[in-house]
Amino acid sequence: MWTGTINFNNRIGPQHLHMAVRLSAEFKDPVPGQFVMIRPNGGGGPLLSRPLSVYQYVRNHDHVILELLYRVVGQGTELLSQLTKAAEVNILGPLGRGFRIDKTRSHRILLAGGMGVAPITFLADYLKGRVAGKYELKICLGAKSCTEIVGIERIRGMQGLLNIATDDGSMGSCGLVTDLLPSFTQGCDPGKTMIFACGPMAMLKTLVEQLAPTGIPCQVSIEERMACGVGACLGCAVTVHDRRGKRVQKSVCKDGPVFNIEDICWDQIR
Amino acid sequence: MNQKDYNKQGILAVEIGALKLKNPVMTASGTFGYGDEYAPYVDLNRLGAIIVKGLSLKPRHGNPSPRIMETPAGMLNAIGLQNVGVKSFIKNKLPYLRQFDTAIIANVYGETIEEYLRVSEILTAAGGVHALEINVSCPNVKKGGVAFGTDPDMVAEVTMRVKGATDLPVIVKLSPNVTDIAVMAKAAEAAGADAVSLINTITGMSVDVEKKIPHLKNVTGGLSGPAIKPIALRMVWQVATQVNIPVIGVGGIMSAPDALEFLIVGARAIQVGTANFIDPRATMNIIEGIEAYMKRHHVFAMDDLVGSVRI
Repeated sequence: MWTGTINFNNRIGPQHLHMAVRLSAEFKDPVPGQFVMIRPNGGGGPLLSRPLSVYQYVRNHDHVILELLYRVVGQGTELLSQLTKAAEVNILGPLGRGFRIDKTRSHRILLAGGMGVAPITFLADYLKGRVAGKYELKICLGAKSCTEIVGIERIRGMQGLLNIATDDGSMGSCGLVTDLLPSFTQGCDPGKTMIFACGPMAMLKTLVEQLAPTGIPCQVSIEERMACGVGACLGCAVTVHDRRGKRVQKSVCKDGPVFNIEDICWDQIR
Repeated sequence: MNQKDYNKQGILAVEIGALKLKNPVMTASGTFGYGDEYAPYVDLNRLGAIIVKGLSLKPRHGNPSPRIMETPAGMLNAIGLQNVGVKSFIKNKLPYLRQFDTAIIANVYGETIEEYLRVSEILTAAGGVHALEINVSCPNVKKGGVAFGTDPDMVAEVTMRVKGATDLPVIVKLSPNVTDIAVMAKAAEAAGADAVSLINTITGMSVDVEKKIPHLKNVTGGLSGPAIKPIALRMVWQVATQVNIPVIGVGGIMSAPDALEFLIVGARAIQVGTANFIDPRATMNIIEGIEAYMKRHHVFAMDDLVGSVRI
C-alpha cells in the first residue's frame, strides 16, 4: 500500500478526469493492462478502494508519476474527482496480469470502447517505445459521442493508424468501434496478427462473434466489481475454460483483468 | 508453533484451549485467501493465526457474478464458498503455509454432516493444520452452512461428531441470523467445542433502483464491515458471559481500538476480515496497536485484558 500525492486531477470530459499521482520510486513498473486500487487517504466515503487501470507512468530518479484516466460513475470515483493538487491517495498495485506481447505477431490492432482508452493508450505507447522491429499498429477508439472521446491528443502522437467511431456520428464514423474492425482484419494473416481490446462487455461480446470465423487471436481486458484486488475475496470471479477445456473460476483481479477472448465462458457473462 | 517459540512471544500470547497463539489476531476465513495472496504485503509469521477460505470435500465453483456490492460502511458478498476442495488445499496450498511460524486453522464446510466429518478427518490426517473452524453459518449456499447453524440440535450434532473425528481443537463459527446466538454457543459448548467464533455475516440485500434488480445475482448476501461491528460486539459480550469456552470475536474490526473492544468484552482472540481488503496491512497495525495499548495501560498479560469490561 502506497501513499501518493496528486500532481493534477483535471476534468477532460463531462464525467472524465485525468489524474497524475506522485509515488515512491519503490513503486514497481506496471505493464499495460495492469491496474491499481485507489482511494482518497484519510477515510470517509466508501470503504473499498476503486480499481482503475494504468494510463501511463513515468519513472524519475527518485519518484514515479502514475497517470490514471477515469470516469465518475459512483460515490468512490466522485470523491476521487474532487481531489486537488497535493491531496493524498492510497494506492495498492500495480495489480493483475496485463496484456501479453507476442513479438512474432507484428500486426497489432488495438480496440478501445469508452474508458477502455486508458489501458489501450498505455499499450500503444508501450508497443511504440519498447518493441523493436517492424510492426503495424492500428488503433480504434469508440464512445457514445465526441464529448466522451477522451485522451485523443496523446493517442494521435503514437505511430499508428487511428480510427474513431461514435454512436451518434459526432466524431469519426457513425456506429460502434467494432464496426471498424472488419476493414482492418480483412486479408490479414491470423498468424501474424493480435487484437487487444478493452471496453464494455457488450462490445467484447460483439468481438467474440466477429472474430470466431477469422481465427485471429485477441486479448481482452474485462471489468468486474472488486473488493481486495489481490485474489483473496473471490468477489470478481469469471468462468473460463482451462487448458483441458474444463470450466473453472478465475479472479479478474489476479488472473486477469486481461484474458484470451476464447478462454472466457461468454455465456456466463451477464 | 512450538512451545519454545510460544514462550518467547511475550504479552500478546494467548491460548484457545490447546491452541497456543503468539497473539490474538487471526485472519477471518474467506478474507485472506490461502495466505499467499497477502504474503507480498504482510509478514505471515507475525499473525496469531491464519484461517483459510472454507474448504469442502469437492471443489466448489461458488455463485455467479455479481458477487459483491459495497453498502454504507460495509459490503455484501455472496461468494458461495468457492474453494479448491480439501484435497487440492492439502496438496497445493498447505505446504506453503506450513513454512510459517503461525497457527493454520482450516475452515470446514459441508452440505451434510458426513461431509463435515470427511473434510475434518482429511485435514487432521494431513498434519500441519493446528485447529478446525466449523462453518455452520455461511448464508450464501443452498445446502449446509447456516442451515446447520440456526438449530441448536444441529449445531450440537455437527460439533459432537466432528470432535469425534479429530484430535485438533474445534472452533464452531456461529451465525448472527438467529433469535438468540447464546443458545447456539451453549449448544456448541455442551457438545464439546473448544471455542466459538462469532459472528459470520448478517444476511442483507441491495437493489439497483434503475434496473429494479438486486445488485447481487444471488439476490441476498452476507453483510460485513464496520456496519456490523456494534452488533457483533453485543453478541460477543452476550456469549462471553454465558459460556466458559473461549470466544473469538469477529465482525467489522478495522483497527486496534475495534479489536480492543472485542477483547475487553470477553473475546480471547479476534478475527480481521473485510479490513484486509481495504488495507492488506490491517492485521499488522492491529497487532502493534494492541501491544502499544497494553503497555500504555500497564497490562502485561492477555488474561488481564480479556473480559475486563466494567459494567
